[in-house]
Amino acid sequence: MIPMNSEPDVPLRDPPSQSGEEEGPSAAEQAKAIEQPPPQPVEITADTNLSELSAAQMYELNQAHETADVHRPLIAEIAPIAELRAEYENGSTLFVQQIDNLESQGYSSIRRTRAVAFAYVEQVLKSSDPPLAVATTLSTLEGTPALLETVGYQNLVFDDFYSVLVQLVRNVTIPDELGNKLTNQTLLEAFQSPAESNSIVVYMRMLTSAQMQLNAENFAPFLFHPELGEPMEVKEFCENFVDAIGKEADHVQMTALSQILRIDISVAYLDGRSEQLDFVKFSPEETTSSSPIVLLYRPGHYDILEGSYS
Amino acid sequence: MDARLRRVNKEIADCKNDKTSNITLDLVDNSPFHLKGSFPGPEDTPYQGGIFEVDILIPDAYPFQPVKMKFTTKVYHPNVSSASGAICLDILKDAWSPVLTLKSTLISLQSLLCSPEPNDPQDAEVAKHYTTSKGSFEETARYWTHIYAGGPGTKQSKGSAGRDEVAIAGLEQAHVDQFESLGFPRNKVIDVLRRLNYRGANVAQIPEDRIVEELLKV
Repeated sequence: MIPMNSEPDVPLRDPPSQSGEEEGPSAAEQAKAIEQPPPQPVEITADTNLSELSAAQMYELNQAHETADVHRPLIAEIAPIAELRAEYENGSTLFVQQIDNLESQGYSSIRRTRAVAFAYVEQVLKSSDPPLAVATTLSTLEGTPALLETVGYQNLVFDDFYSVLVQLVRNVTIPDELGNKLTNQTLLEAFQSPAESNSIVVYMRMLTSAQMQLNAENFAPFLFHPELGEPMEVKEFCENFVDAIGKEADHVQMTALSQILRIDISVAYLDGRSEQLDFVKFSPEETTSSSPIVLLYRPGHYDILEGSYS
Repeated sequence: MDARLRRVNKEIADCKNDKTSNITLDLVDNSPFHLKGSFPGPEDTPYQGGIFEVDILIPDAYPFQPVKMKFTTKVYHPNVSSASGAICLDILKDAWSPVLTLKSTLISLQSLLCSPEPNDPQDAEVAKHYTTSKGSFEETARYWTHIYAGGPGTKQSKGSAGRDEVAIAGLEQAHVDQFESLGFPRNKVIDVLRRLNYRGANVAQIPEDRIVEELLKV
């Protein structure tokens, strides 16, 4: 676990690499750096009011956060939310107030994770009627390879990723070759294995991308380059900020994913902008959820929020 | 079979079945994780008629990590190192995504040859040549395609046996002769004129004294 107050160490920009031609900054980049003095370096600490940062700074901070915690497990055990609170106690009081706000609404634990993908399978596993949940989920998933092909993905690119996800969902009710059904423990292990975990996350990225491309007219007005702020074509946006690994999912991507998976997602934005903590609900017209997946967003990524009942 | 090997095998088979793209993939040392790719130079470019070979290394975490590619055929292009073959292309770095394949990446390299990005160069000297005198740049790129990639001959190369170091450097024979006649070794003259980008409109901008000064330095 990386405590929040150690994060000032995370550089906002990678220092220029001197490792030679292949990796180093191009001559043009260097020239650019000389021509225009870099923007005043803003040191971001736990006390920094995030609302004062520009969109581009937030994006960079988020991306830095994404790549900084390389040693953190891909997914962790459930932890009491007090652990999260402790990380913020020396920092902004607004963050602490927002966390208290969450706790008062019954969210007592948090799972640090690749959130949506894990929560999606976990919801099937925890369902009160697992055979029905498996059947519903598989029926949605089985329609997706055709959609991916419609937008131009080659079958050889996604069929392995697809089968990893489907196997895992099936394993909730059907024993694997060793005779074991999916348990909380084996689900956790699956998501801790980089190959399995990456396959599922990438498949979800592809689904998000397909949904956006198939409904381009609905998404196009909301697509802007996260650093430059310029409008982008759906295809170009998807190639650069949805398909590519490690790019953060924003509102638009969450909307698309909730639609194609037909699930309700509710996200609490822990942003330190006010004492209140707002939940944003992504509720597609066609939904098969009995209850939403509840996530906590912090600059950089999403965690799963668990209620006191679980 | 592990997922990486399965994926690479599928990609190789897909490439073999595709007769239209003219892209090849072959194993190096019988390893499916070290490959040699090739594609024809795009039409209506100085690379037309050449076959360009690329060394391909599949990293352990492929396809979640970008494939490593570099040209083994020498290419005269702003985004390719003329010395090492290293390539400056976003999808080989942070814009990589697991939906890309070896074939689609090689096709992207082919498109890169059609549309150089001199503002994001891998080879700064080549990029300067491209921006100052495009005609001369294309002549040099065509010559490299001819001598290194098996492309058709160019004006200079006709009838002359062996490689023309002046044409390889993208310089004018007369300019090289001019400074060589002052007593400087030919290779040194070529080196300095290339570094100073002594081409096109630049020739009038660079005083001869400056060149002599540089020649005395090295």
